[in-house]
Amino acid sequence: MKRYAYYLSCINESMTKEVDRSIALWQKDLGIELVHLHESTCCGGSNLDYVSPKHFALVNARNIAHAEKMGLDLVVSCNTCLMTIRTAKKKLDASPELRAEVNDILKAEGLEYRGTSEVRHLLWVLIDDVGLEAIKAKVTVPLSKYRIAPFYGCHILRPSTVLGKDNPLDPSSLDQLVEALGGSTIPYTHKNRCCGFHTLLVAEEESLSVAAEALGEAIDEKADFIVTPCPLCHTVLDGYQAKALKQADIHSSIPVLHLSEMVGLALGYTAKELGVKRHIVS
Amino acid sequence: MTVAADQHIEGKRDVTLRVFRLNPQVDSKPYYDDYTIPVERGITVLRALNYIKENIDASISYRAFCQAGICGSCGMRINGISKLACTTQVWDELSKCREEGIIKIEPLRNMPLIKDLIVDMDPLVAKMKHYSNWVDSTMPEAEMGKKEFLVSEEEFLRYDKATDCILCASCVSECSILRANKEYVSPAVLLKSYRMNADSRDAIHDVRLGELVQDHGVWDCTHCYRCQETCVKSIPIMDAIHGIREDAIESRGMKDTAGSKHAEAFMSDISKKGKLVEATLPFRTNGVAWTVKNLLPMAVKMILKRRTPPPPPLVKPSKGIKQFRAEFKEMSDHVKQDHKTHNK
Repeated sequence: MKRYAYYLSCINESMTKEVDRSIALWQKDLGIELVHLHESTCCGGSNLDYVSPKHFALVNARNIAHAEKMGLDLVVSCNTCLMTIRTAKKKLDASPELRAEVNDILKAEGLEYRGTSEVRHLLWVLIDDVGLEAIKAKVTVPLSKYRIAPFYGCHILRPSTVLGKDNPLDPSSLDQLVEALGGSTIPYTHKNRCCGFHTLLVAEEESLSVAAEALGEAIDEKADFIVTPCPLCHTVLDGYQAKALKQADIHSSIPVLHLSEMVGLALGYTAKELGVKRHIVS
Repeated sequence: MTVAADQHIEGKRDVTLRVFRLNPQVDSKPYYDDYTIPVERGITVLRALNYIKENIDASISYRAFCQAGICGSCGMRINGISKLACTTQVWDELSKCREEGIIKIEPLRNMPLIKDLIVDMDPLVAKMKHYSNWVDSTMPEAEMGKKEFLVSEEEFLRYDKATDCILCASCVSECSILRANKEYVSPAVLLKSYRMNADSRDAIHDVRLGELVQDHGVWDCTHCYRCQETCVKSIPIMDAIHGIREDAIESRGMKDTAGSKHAEAFMSDISKKGKLVEATLPFRTNGVAWTVKNLLPMAVKMILKRRTPPPPPLVKPSKGIKQFRAEFKEMSDHVKQDHKTHNK
């Protein structure tokens, strides 16, 4: 059983609870154990870094240092948390002064940021550590009847100088996972585009227009559902779907699954167990 | 012949360029023309287009000038990605073709089309004017040319990268928000604005910043990083956008706009609970009236699905919150000290 420190994302603790619940169902089937890091705090959500770069460094040095104390990599299941914490890590690793400054504060808690734990997305762990062949072997209900639109979202791809796992112009990791689970992917030009989440409260019309494009292509291509590795993308594509499609004058709908739910379905768990019924679009 | 030159001509094959065509004066809709030409390894897309124009079809229109990635004229979408034709090798594109051996060439997006691969740069230039994308000098006119204007190395390093922009508009073409609303300031203009506002010789920082925080300005960027990812000069454009936001918060306060209030909510929630209090985020960003009008129908659906974020008292603080708060506060003291030193 390979163990990881699991970062608790704010959104998965509040609106998209089905993500952590579904992972909990199947993690042991795939030989991994995600140890919940209850000490972790909000990463800053791609905002704290410009509000206060130093608090941003402190907060995320602390998040990573807790994982380091356990001797484990930090695993994340939200794209923006992934990008944000990796950005902080990159800054900390490049600056001995910044490291010294945050460590001076963290020592009161018996913590030290050393840079020894990697910060990884759950999708990467599934592909690189568990392995596609091992996953394939565990599939009990292949997704063979589904044509799936893999929506990667931005912050698992860009900036590639911080992420670097997939080719941001032509990502393939999620496609590979879909195929390992027995499903097939549609050609989906919006797979690496934006969902519009980060401006929902500031420029709603623009955000919904961005979302409608991604939804519209999946609908036009007659995908059975969209799958995303990011709960923020899910919140827009599922929660705001009706509003986005109405604005774009598209009269249809499409279910959106979390990566963790798609894996669970293929491993034999029911939609109800996985929390799919909690979605707005069924 | 040298070894390097030998390798240069080693590969040769037929390649098809599928070129977007539209002359709005005569065509009712766009179409694509295929041109199959012999191409040697080492030939750029621009040279391939020049070959077609000189030998096959003189009617194709595109902009180009320096042929060396300096002037920024030949921005176009090659196999779907905005880039410069003069620095893009035909050979490198072969592996990116959706159809084997066919390279798709299209105009930049998000700008009005003039003809074929030529887009109208005037709206972009108008935005550069609107946001005063030049240094408006603090030096009295009478002293100009007589006195030196010194810029420290430390200052220059803050905008060194930003000065690499050649206005090729690849970032403009790739921008997610601009695609949704053509009024949006656009990444290139944000980059220039950041560069001008960081310049100590400039006199209109506050005026420029005042424009940047308005509607369709810096807060409308959705952090998709497409601009940065496609920048032909590898400029960290998002750093500039975040730089403007940091400046806006410092210069104009956190209650200035919906964007700054939204950002403040993160800082405030983290300092108190270590977690985001999502339930009140819309209220704190846009006020009660906006939230009720825009989010009530969705809130009802979410309540039915038990999907609403918990009210503030039920948001459980992170484990060890007391210690975390003390650390957060200690860092606030560091930041205050930094400001004092900086202002001296």
